[in-house]
Amino acid sequence: MDLLRRFALGEIDAFETLVRQYQGEVYAWILRIVRDPGIAEDLTVETLWRIYRARHRFRPDGNFAAWARRIATNLALDHLRSKRLQRSFVAEPGGEPQPDPLLQREAREKIQQAFRRLPAKLQVAAMLALVEEQPYDDIADALGTSAAAVKVRVFRAVRILRRQLRRLGVRP
Amino acid sequence: MTEHDDHQIREALQQAFPPVNTKLRRDLWPALLRKLDAAPASVPWYDWALIGLTASVFLFFPQWILVFAYHL
Repeated sequence: MDLLRRFALGEIDAFETLVRQYQGEVYAWILRIVRDPGIAEDLTVETLWRIYRARHRFRPDGNFAAWARRIATNLALDHLRSKRLQRSFVAEPGGEPQPDPLLQREAREKIQQAFRRLPAKLQVAAMLALVEEQPYDDIADALGTSAAAVKVRVFRAVRILRRQLRRLGVRP
Repeated sequence: MTEHDDHQIREALQQAFPPVNTKLRRDLWPALLRKLDAAPASVPWYDWALIGLTASVFLFFPQWILVFAYHL
């Protein structure tokens, strides 16, 4: 019997194999959205736990990675909604800031601030499409919508962002 | 909004949010296993339905309780 079928039947060994196979991918996807390694780890564990609990609903002929990404995105969205006004984006220590003398630190902070004020759904779409340059189809799949709808969200995010930045006196 | 504007905002965002290291730092299976162990076992809906049905039968036919107890 194949791995996904055994997982759907509740075999813990099959689930462990799937976790080891997909945990890195799920973590990377969540981290691209929340941009905090600690939070991304917690949300990855939560995602995998929910996947296990929902195993009866998984069709063994389906795409496990896409299903996991959708659950992960929903959790990341919930996290952004709950933290929308409080949290700050933390740069990963391993990440290399791109040097640009034109964009001052203050301007960067204002952009982050303006970005955090966007509705969570717009934040996710804009972060994945503009910052992470993920394919629109993957983003749409993870958000449970169409690529056209994602483009609309990105367009709206950019428009709001531009208006807020103008108000903050920043011109990208 | 022009393509040039879009490009500018994309660049500004990419600089505001530096690339993240997406490599997982540790294996999450042990943490997940702890969470699975700690989670209370959920009772499926059909078990609740069976309990409800049995309780209803005993309510209307209390003499069956003795028959049921005998077979336990």
